[in-house]
Amino acid sequence: MAPYHHLMVHFPIALWTTATLVILWRAFSDKPLALAAGRVLTPLLVLGVVTGFIAYAIGLAIFPFEAIGSSPLGRNKLIAATWSLAYWTLIAVTVWRLGNRVWEGTARWVMLLLGLLGGALLTVTGALGGHLSGSPSAVSQLFRLLGWEVYTTFYVPNFMLAVLVLAAVALVATGMAGRARR
Amino acid sequence: MRQRLLNASIAIFVLALILSWVFHGTGVVKNDLKRNIYIPATLTIPLQVKAAYNGDKMFFRYRWPAKEPHLYHDMMKYQDGKWERYGKSVPGPQPQGIYEDRVAMLVDDGAVPEFEKYGGYITIGDRMRFFTNEAKKEEVEAHAYLGKKKQVEVGKHLPETRSNVADWKSVVPEAQLQAQRKAGYFLDLWHWRAHRSNPINKSDDQEIAEARYGDEGKGVFFTNWDNDKKQPKLMFDTAKVGKTALNWDDLANRKLGFDDLYYLREDQAKPYDPKAAWKNGDTLPRRVLRKGEGSRADISVHGQARWKDGYWDVTLVRAMDTGHPLDDKAFVDNRVYTVAFSVHRNAFGSRWHYVSLPQRLGLNRQADFKAARFDGSEPKWEQDWQNVTLFYPGQVSWPLLNSAKHAGAENIKKGTPVRARHSEIQLAHYGVEMEFAEDILRQWRYTLLAGVLLIAGFGVAVNLLLAKKEK
Repeated sequence: MAPYHHLMVHFPIALWTTATLVILWRAFSDKPLALAAGRVLTPLLVLGVVTGFIAYAIGLAIFPFEAIGSSPLGRNKLIAATWSLAYWTLIAVTVWRLGNRVWEGTARWVMLLLGLLGGALLTVTGALGGHLSGSPSAVSQLFRLLGWEVYTTFYVPNFMLAVLVLAAVALVATGMAGRARR
Repeated sequence: MRQRLLNASIAIFVLALILSWVFHGTGVVKNDLKRNIYIPATLTIPLQVKAAYNGDKMFFRYRWPAKEPHLYHDMMKYQDGKWERYGKSVPGPQPQGIYEDRVAMLVDDGAVPEFEKYGGYITIGDRMRFFTNEAKKEEVEAHAYLGKKKQVEVGKHLPETRSNVADWKSVVPEAQLQAQRKAGYFLDLWHWRAHRSNPINKSDDQEIAEARYGDEGKGVFFTNWDNDKKQPKLMFDTAKVGKTALNWDDLANRKLGFDDLYYLREDQAKPYDPKAAWKNGDTLPRRVLRKGEGSRADISVHGQARWKDGYWDVTLVRAMDTGHPLDDKAFVDNRVYTVAFSVHRNAFGSRWHYVSLPQRLGLNRQADFKAARFDGSEPKWEQDWQNVTLFYPGQVSWPLLNSAKHAGAENIKKGTPVRARHSEIQLAHYGVEMEFAEDILRQWRYTLLAGVLLIAGFGVAVNLLLAKKEK
């Protein structure tokens, strides 16, 4: 399945990369061309998520889980791909639901943050894919400089797991509190 | 208010990401001597190698960094009427620092084809010594063949000496082993040790087949312990060296250097006298050095192997053809060989060594590095060093590499060499992670899920906080 994954993964990479650029542009500009670009964001993101899911599913079929789950690079690729997909799904849902509201006031800076983080996750996933397919790039050197050796599994200790779960709960609670105050 | 909540959401999300980045990779990898786990602080070290030959003799020169030399090994200290042993193989570094430095080299002439592609990995079988799941001594001793060969642990062996590589017990019939040996299915092992027996300018000569054996003949050291009498066999001969024993404090404080007596030579020893005036702190080496005989004594130190200015510099020499084809790989001009190296340092023993990937050595042939042909008896060493990266291999076995747990098992079946897919630093990290495989897998799963939860939580917060106000 590896060749089909390589083929399919071009689509979410291209679509999400374009989406990142559009978000960057739109966050800093209200000019007609930027507005026009902003209008194509929803289809870009939705298509990215759909093709991303397909590429992800095909990717899961390349190696048995026993093999990919035993390889640090494999684990890293899987975690990065899962988070990328989840994260871009979040962006797609947000843009779809909220429309132009995401460019109003401080919301545009939230979008900028979302776009930058999405681009970063995409870079990590792509770089790991290169490693896994036997074509490592120098991007991993950057990760090393920032403190992560890509040949070691990315995991957090138990107390951080608790922090992450608490953070997720706190985020939901914050959102609920905001809705209650409308 | 909603703006504040939005800002708080962003802060929570970003802070969680930053903390995850800061603390990632912690909490699992830790030393656990009960499980034979000790992770060296440094995972890779450099080794420099040169080779030369004159048609008669083959020379190898090795140079590697070490903070200090470890010359002492396996000592017995007299304490309150008993001889206590210090310096046997233990997981991790020997606590008193009494464990010798070593350099070893595996050699093949093509008769073990997997060796050229995967190096020493092919010799790491099922339930190896000092692995977490190592086979018990009683199990090995009870094995019909290995027990007969006086094996007490599962050591390095070649894959086809087993009918099932994933079962150390499945040794093929003895007749087949003999046929394999005659066909050259073994690896020659040059094994230099700083204590056993560098002081007499000798190196051990061994081979790996169905187990790791010393070559035929008399070894260059033997054990100074009488199991029946529960006492040393030999002690220093005062008439020859002016003392009956070493002083423990001299060893503990590392006072004895290359020019001092820190070893016991057979010709400087006499039978142990239990009635001698032994006092606490008297120390006898548990290994006695001797010249050795036959194939086992084929390899010598050329010049002097010494540590200086942070580096060991060791040159070994052996006849190109020793005339022992069942023990040694003969070096022939215009041929290519595969070699792989290992280094022990910092008082680490057994599997806590640094190893290399296989290197091709050419004698007047293109290869990873070439042996220089010279005339006379002394190599000129004018060629550049071959720089090799050694790495800590962790607990990675050949059965594992050929199992469903290795995504590259299919590549091994296809014959893809390890170097085409992995670097030394990658293998070192993989080796470490393999020692904590289940714990890391569990933690990784939870991390994946926690990350998805965080993203989902952030999505909920952003969507609710940015949604239009209801009229």
